[in-house]
Amino acid sequence: MGAEQAWLLAAIPAGVFFVLALFGRYLPRGGDYLGVAAIGASFVLFFFVAADFLSFYDFEAHKTFITESISWSEIGNFKLRQGIHVDAITIVMFAVITTVSLMVNIFSVGYMKGEPRYYWFFAVLQLFVASMLLLVMADNLLLVYISWELVGVCSFLLIGFYWEKRSATEAAKKAFITTRIGDVGLLIGIILLWKETGTFDIQQIIHAAEAGEIGQTYLFVSIMFVFLGCMGKSAQFPFHVWLPDAMEGPTPVSALIHAATMVVAGVYLTARLLPIFEAADGALLVVTIVGLTTALLASLIAFAQTDIKRVLAYSTVGKLGLMFVALGAGSPAAGLFLLMTHAFVKALLFLGSGSVILGTHHNQEMDKLGGLWKKMPITGTTFFVATLALAGLPPLAMFWSEDELFASVNHEWGLWALVLAMLAVFATAIFMVRLFIRTFAGEPRDRQVHEHARETPLVMTGPLVFLCVLAVVSGLFVFNGVGSALGFPGGIGEFVFLEEPERYAIDWTLAGISLAVAVAGVLIGAYVYWGNSLVRSTRLAEAMPRLYAALRNKFYIDEMYQYVIDRGVLGVSYVVSWFDRYVVNDTGVDGSAQVTGYSGSILKYLQTGRVPNYAMAITLGVVGLTVAGLLVRA
Amino acid sequence: MVPLENYLVLSAVMFSLGVYGVLARRNAVLVLMSVELMLNAVSLNFVAFAAYLDPERITGAIFAVFVITVAAAEVGLALAIVIRLFRNRATSNVDEAAMMKW
Repeated sequence: MGAEQAWLLAAIPAGVFFVLALFGRYLPRGGDYLGVAAIGASFVLFFFVAADFLSFYDFEAHKTFITESISWSEIGNFKLRQGIHVDAITIVMFAVITTVSLMVNIFSVGYMKGEPRYYWFFAVLQLFVASMLLLVMADNLLLVYISWELVGVCSFLLIGFYWEKRSATEAAKKAFITTRIGDVGLLIGIILLWKETGTFDIQQIIHAAEAGEIGQTYLFVSIMFVFLGCMGKSAQFPFHVWLPDAMEGPTPVSALIHAATMVVAGVYLTARLLPIFEAADGALLVVTIVGLTTALLASLIAFAQTDIKRVLAYSTVGKLGLMFVALGAGSPAAGLFLLMTHAFVKALLFLGSGSVILGTHHNQEMDKLGGLWKKMPITGTTFFVATLALAGLPPLAMFWSEDELFASVNHEWGLWALVLAMLAVFATAIFMVRLFIRTFAGEPRDRQVHEHARETPLVMTGPLVFLCVLAVVSGLFVFNGVGSALGFPGGIGEFVFLEEPERYAIDWTLAGISLAVAVAGVLIGAYVYWGNSLVRSTRLAEAMPRLYAALRNKFYIDEMYQYVIDRGVLGVSYVVSWFDRYVVNDTGVDGSAQVTGYSGSILKYLQTGRVPNYAMAITLGVVGLTVAGLLVRA
Repeated sequence: MVPLENYLVLSAVMFSLGVYGVLARRNAVLVLMSVELMLNAVSLNFVAFAAYLDPERITGAIFAVFVITVAAAEVGLALAIVIRLFRNRATSNVDEAAMMKW
């Protein structure tokens, strides 16, 4: 079992998907054990693949990859190969996807118990994970696009899992259509790159771009189209609207979408194609600006949301923005490291909120929660750790990744970007503390909900604890010592990189500022939101009523889209439908039918029914034609 | 040997008589007989050309045999129609058989 067989990671869950989709309903317990076993097998295989890959890894040359492909089709000169490409980025993504998916799968066994279509949930979950694993090891853009769309359709199925609920179907449609708009860009970008280089192979395209074989403008335009797809999938402004609505799906799905399988696809693809972004002048600046805009916007909106999952959704949007900022600074190490730590923390937060929702019998409004820590000690504690981790406190995971981010941003863009990125981190700290206080701390706001709250079973708390440990320690991968012990000396900075490996070194000034920002955020959050009366936060909201209303309504972005759809799309549709009705249908279709009918009603009198008339017509016709033929020849 | 032109003239005369009969006669049986005349004119042409152009083979004669066979079948069908017409309308005048119209 070596890295060449990495395709098995995706093949096993994909196979189980078919088994579950076809026969799941006849299996005892809906076949959930098959799902857990499949992802578990992928998880175990990952270690073999990683060990094999690390044994190959050339720490002097630092550019190791293992590739394996088959000829898919040959039409004339056009040759298409499909295969896998395993390198450092793939290994990191494998680690994130298999770990989080396994935890989500186990958690779902408890969370989804007794739900209708239980088997179907697990079936689609397998396909979701399989397509994401395929995405990160695809060696050509065509396979990337195929698995990209598979991921999209799985998210559609899972967000709309409760399709009896209208809001769930609406959210599923919104997620699918919004990301599709970006995907059109991705497809255009892939075609543009193929047209110029004649290949779909990612490494060859990167090589061509780095060698300057593609014109600057052409390269910039095509990579921007690709980035449009990444923005859609990773919920970057202005495509971020689908992610908060995607909360309509079952909570484990939210954990999966936010941490491992859906939104990180865009970050992954940008990281994978980062050399092309680097080669195209100005592309990295666009990535940075999009990331910063999204991060700030989402962090602000999260302040005024009251649904637990919605707050978490906006924090994800914000962190994804920061991942793009890291990539925009030309540091895939920072981007992927942030992706990894965020995945563990965010999966923990979502599974924690799922535990809260189940423990309080489907309550997810913060206004009705509060004081749950005592009732749900394990959920409460893990959630507390995750909150602090997301706020960016050391020594928890995200402190280190954000430190790496700040260092690369400072190096690449200087102060302005650094300040903006820190503002986003600061805001995250405040609203995460708000979320925690209003859910777990203080006095219960709704007695009845509090009375009936109970801790969830081991099958759910187990994954929480496991992820909690990762949320604490996964930040340490950045260090040389930890990396050496695990087989990649130099830490993640020397494992994943763009041009030169960079060993992580603490910049004490930056780390100090980052720590100060996080602590200040936590303290301010605690000061404003502590206690039951909400006096301070209410006063704050009343002091800035217009800002508060704008935040609460998510800056009216959804309304703006709705307006555009109502006026623009429906207006155009009205004109088109008018044209269709009156020109195409009434004039074209009905008109030609009427002409035929009218001419028939006149010409029918030629049909006398008398045989001699017909015989005479035939004879005259033949004679006439003969005479005409003779005249022409003469 | 009789020259080819004689056969062709005879055939043309027979064909014209047949056309005249089909157009001018009103009795369905006579119309059918005129049709036979036209067919025989054509067969005569076939045989004459066969004898003059390609005496070794008898391609034209075979065609004539086929024409006779088809004509026999056709007359069988047509006479059946005429009998049905006579049963229904008590006439064999083709002018009165004008049911097939709007």
